[in-house]
Amino acid sequence: MPRPEVNMVTLTIDGREVSAPENVMLVDGAKYGDVEIPVFCYEPKLGQPVGACRMCLVEVEGIPKLQTGCSTPVKDGMVVHTQTQRVKDAQEAVVEFLLINHPLDCPVCDKGGECPLQDISFGWGGGRSRFVEPKRHFEKPLALSPLIAIDRERCILCYRCVRFSQEVSEDYQLVLAARTADTYVATFDGHPYVAPFSGNIIELCPVGALTSRPYRFRARPWDIEGSGSVCTLCPSQCNVELTVRDERVLRVISRVHEEVDDGWLCDKGRFAYQAIHVDERITQPLVREGGTLRGVSWERALDEAARGLSRAGSASAALAGGETTNEEGFLLQRLTREAVGSAHMDSRAGGSLPVELHAALGAPVLQATVPDLQYAHAILVLDTEPVDDMPIVDLRIRKGVRRNRVKLAVATSRPSSLDRNAAVSVRYAPGCGEAFVAALNAALGGEEKNFAELVAAAGTTAEGVRAVADLLAGAGGTGGPGDVVILWGERLTHGRRGAAAARGLLNVAGHLALAGREGAGLLEVPAGTNGRGLREVGVLPRIGPGMAQVASPGALGAAGIRDGLAAGELSAVHLLHVDPLADLSGRAAWKRGLEAATTVVAHSAFLTEGLREHATVIFPAESYAEKEGTVTHPDGRVQRLRPAIGHPGEVRPGWQVLAELMKRAGHDPGVLTGAMVSRRLFEAVGMYAGLTLEELGGRGVRWPARAQAAAWPQADLGPFGLESPPAAPSPNGELRLGTFRSIWAGPAVGASPALRFLVPKVRVEMAPADAQRRNVTHGDHVTLGADGSAVEATVMLRDAVPEGTVFMETNALDPGLVDVRKAPPESRR
Amino acid sequence: MSENPTNPSSNGRTQPLLLRGIDEEGLHTLEVYRRRGGYEALTKALDMAPGEVLEQLQASGLRGRGGAGFAIGKKASFMPEGAMDKYMVCNADESEPGAFKDRELMQKNPHQLIEGLIIAAYTVGANRAFIYIRGEYQRQADVLDAALAEAQGAGYLGERILGSGFSLTLVVHRGAGAYICGEETALLDSLEGKRGNPRIKPPFPANQGLYQGPTLINNVETLATVPHVITMGGEKYAELGTESSPGTKVVSISGNVRRPGNYEVELGTPVREIIYGLAGGPPEGREVKFFFPGGSSAPVLTAEDLDRPYDFDSMAEAGSMLGSGSVIVVDDSVPVVDVALKVAKFYEHESCGKCSPCREGTRWTRTILQRVDDGTATPMDLDIMASVQEQILGNCLCVLGDSMAMPIGSMVQKFRAEFEAHIEAARARNPFGDEEPEPPLPVVQGAAA
Repeated sequence: MPRPEVNMVTLTIDGREVSAPENVMLVDGAKYGDVEIPVFCYEPKLGQPVGACRMCLVEVEGIPKLQTGCSTPVKDGMVVHTQTQRVKDAQEAVVEFLLINHPLDCPVCDKGGECPLQDISFGWGGGRSRFVEPKRHFEKPLALSPLIAIDRERCILCYRCVRFSQEVSEDYQLVLAARTADTYVATFDGHPYVAPFSGNIIELCPVGALTSRPYRFRARPWDIEGSGSVCTLCPSQCNVELTVRDERVLRVISRVHEEVDDGWLCDKGRFAYQAIHVDERITQPLVREGGTLRGVSWERALDEAARGLSRAGSASAALAGGETTNEEGFLLQRLTREAVGSAHMDSRAGGSLPVELHAALGAPVLQATVPDLQYAHAILVLDTEPVDDMPIVDLRIRKGVRRNRVKLAVATSRPSSLDRNAAVSVRYAPGCGEAFVAALNAALGGEEKNFAELVAAAGTTAEGVRAVADLLAGAGGTGGPGDVVILWGERLTHGRRGAAAARGLLNVAGHLALAGREGAGLLEVPAGTNGRGLREVGVLPRIGPGMAQVASPGALGAAGIRDGLAAGELSAVHLLHVDPLADLSGRAAWKRGLEAATTVVAHSAFLTEGLREHATVIFPAESYAEKEGTVTHPDGRVQRLRPAIGHPGEVRPGWQVLAELMKRAGHDPGVLTGAMVSRRLFEAVGMYAGLTLEELGGRGVRWPARAQAAAWPQADLGPFGLESPPAAPSPNGELRLGTFRSIWAGPAVGASPALRFLVPKVRVEMAPADAQRRNVTHGDHVTLGADGSAVEATVMLRDAVPEGTVFMETNALDPGLVDVRKAPPESRR
Repeated sequence: MSENPTNPSSNGRTQPLLLRGIDEEGLHTLEVYRRRGGYEALTKALDMAPGEVLEQLQASGLRGRGGAGFAIGKKASFMPEGAMDKYMVCNADESEPGAFKDRELMQKNPHQLIEGLIIAAYTVGANRAFIYIRGEYQRQADVLDAALAEAQGAGYLGERILGSGFSLTLVVHRGAGAYICGEETALLDSLEGKRGNPRIKPPFPANQGLYQGPTLINNVETLATVPHVITMGGEKYAELGTESSPGTKVVSISGNVRRPGNYEVELGTPVREIIYGLAGGPPEGREVKFFFPGGSSAPVLTAEDLDRPYDFDSMAEAGSMLGSGSVIVVDDSVPVVDVALKVAKFYEHESCGKCSPCREGTRWTRTILQRVDDGTATPMDLDIMASVQEQILGNCLCVLGDSMAMPIGSMVQKFRAEFEAHIEAARARNPFGDEEPEPPLPVVQGAAA
């Protein structure tokens, strides 16, 4: 559904002529004339107005009854009064009604000072109550979940939280129970409200009924400062405001950016700030001495690191993790290429693509934006689970489907939480994305010849592929091709066959005529937060800043570095915000590689497994609340990180550490401040040319929409001839293993006391039939994989898992065939 | 029985339509209903174009019998034309205290309703219909289900009804017994499987009703009248009753009368004739103190209003409403405070809790009235209570709040002296007030935070 056109109309509010967009609700329209109409239940983010609180009653000439401004669209020539005695009486009455059962315990309420009920009572209330009867009482406060406290006496029953649960996150957990003034908010089944986006109801609550348990009684509004930044815990890069008191982050709330996050946050983004202030954090440089890591001076650590990397020279390699900023990535590739003299570096966990494919997939004409998901005719979710990989986009897709009737197709191996919303859902065998894309390409192109073969290779069904093809091709109805957005996971292009899969995807985009089409295109979900930015600033084996090809034959990517280290061809590795054992595939090989390396330099905030065992030098890394720099959103928006708090302990800015290492390796980059690094970066990356930090400001700038996007290398967008993809392994009594990474992965969740309960257990998702055949059941302890790299897990039966396939959150096993066996009793933990 | 009390011909004005021979043995079966000419109106309607049927409905001037009195022809004309999923819903959630006409109509003559419903669905082009019946009407729902099966078997429902191009499926849906589900949008939410809460209007059901589709929703009595309109012709029907309130109305009379029950009268019949003539008036030696002319939600009228004609406009003119046509008579043996408290308790209990003025206002009103009755109120509380009613009136999401505010407001206004006397008497009886026991905290889910 294309974006609606906006027409302005003129209406009169309180005697003033106001020009407002047609059909916005009066409450919003009045703002164009600087008139505020008070509201409690109205929140456009939640969908249709409900008109429950009746706070927004206004007089509209020609209508005898008072009307709710939240549900009355503005019309040309409308005459509205918000200040008459009649309106005042009604407003005072509603405030009086709302307060009769409200405890008025503002002095001990967390919301006090930033509470809409307080503000509106002062602004529009009568300032008195005639209510002398006993108030309604509930037991309080109660834990609605480990993260949220509920005080039902304070609740004014505005329906916001329930509407969020029912209509935005669609977890359907919150309901209103009972009726009359005894109505209360509860979960349907009485279990705690645990859901990926549950924390949003705290911000939505216009009173102190829902409060954050980690923030309870930590500060009053006059104790705190707000500081805007960007959350770097996942590729969603939500805009956040950090609540700071005395150099400590106490809370994270949304800093609404409609084109990025739509004003929502996931619980990881909202609560993982706790990991900033924990004792586990590394706050001073560490060097391995006699097998143990010891705290040392910066001088010593920098010397050791610079010496180790320089000594290895071309036998050195660098890896950047997703949380690396553009500036850090830029300096890392300069350090490695110029100072250390090595071409081996990567920011893509699953291996690199040829430069021309990177250029094609990222071509500005092919890029869709996040809001496009909301207005497209159709969306294809391909090889990604948004709620795990880029959570906020999950809400955006739901919004598009629910409100704009966007048609959704889901093509994944693992059952998706969006299946319920999808018009078509297809499954294919894990790791067979390439074959699926090839089959989809054949279906779209009407190639019958080897369609059946491709379908079989993908381990999917012909009907499923055809249904997806028909949905996408027919999205525009009779009016030709429609606006289709393909949200695809980076995982699709991982591995040896990654390039072939990328070509197939480009062919599909070609069939759908996505190039240059407004409101349509590809939107990649990178594996790391700043995956896109790191490629653009040149942290790839053969690609330099601005996607410039770097002539460096033999340059190794992540997999090559791993194998090179294990084989002894490489001797040093520089790990910037990444722990290969936790984040990268091929865990066993990485273990061998790190073991063999003589120098392992790491930047990290936490002593994760790989670093604890293998790092020789560890620099304490900043949390995102301390960082300055930029990151690039998957849709090309360059966003600015701004430090909210000072650095704890001896932590230094990441750019400074890298610049210092360069200096010591004999290549002074000549940067003195973070802003200088940004400037150098903008100069070096063609598409970013001319950007300034001021211009980025708090909203960021989408570079594909700038004229300088022309600096992006010309790319062949296909069509390409496709090789025949390898077939899905035939299970032959074993099970196909698919892996995934849940939203709760990453050290920040485990380190945050409030979120710790969400740290995923090692579990294997199985179809009930497969479990039955193996004589195991829900909750059983099992062993997967061969003896050498066997992994233990708990069985989780999941109906939607296709038979013959299991899914596991792990990087310890490579996708392929595994057997699931009951674990011997002695191994039970 | 020598005289059939439900026969309005006893007042010499007209033949009954809806209640004609209502007590005939086996009328609920298709056989008897057909013998009496049943489903002929449907045959006639299906021979006409939907537009022509609509014209007949419009010409009849038939006004909705559920409470609001909105003309069915007008309502049906709001339904968009064209091919789309449209719905026909019959509101059989007769839950207004004092109303029991639909119960008799459904129990004794279910086919009359089904026939009217099919005709109405045909008129607006709806292919799916529902009868939403309140949970307490179990027997009536069973009767409807049986009648539905019979109608289906005879080809009055299903694919290509009576060989026409019109198809209709009908489902009897049983509610769970909430007053609010008689409100049309709450009914639709409940029918969709949600909590029965009223929706904001607009959009009206004719535009966005059940499952977001255009929906025509009418009361049982209204739909049961439709076959008669078709048989007689709209203009002929309009000759009955008064000009602005045409037709006959089944009136449920209850309270302090000697012969409570359902009576079908021509609209415009004087109230006195209904209360005294048909229902026999209050018991020996008692006078009518006041009466609710249209169910418990109508502002009360007093003996002075007995000679007004019973129709939509006259009742509105008197400051009340005809509503669902349920007359509750209160004689001079009953204290007005008792009635007010009972009414307030009912509406407080039935408030869905969605909008603030109704949720809080109904409870506040009940607590004040409780204090009036207990002797802990002062005459000032009556002013507060009156102002609370004013603040509820017209400011709520649906009419439930108004349904309490109107009668309570009218009672305080018309019987203020009695309220004050009641306060004085109660205070004298109970000078220190009642020790109110501390209510136990409701224990609801969750662990201590």
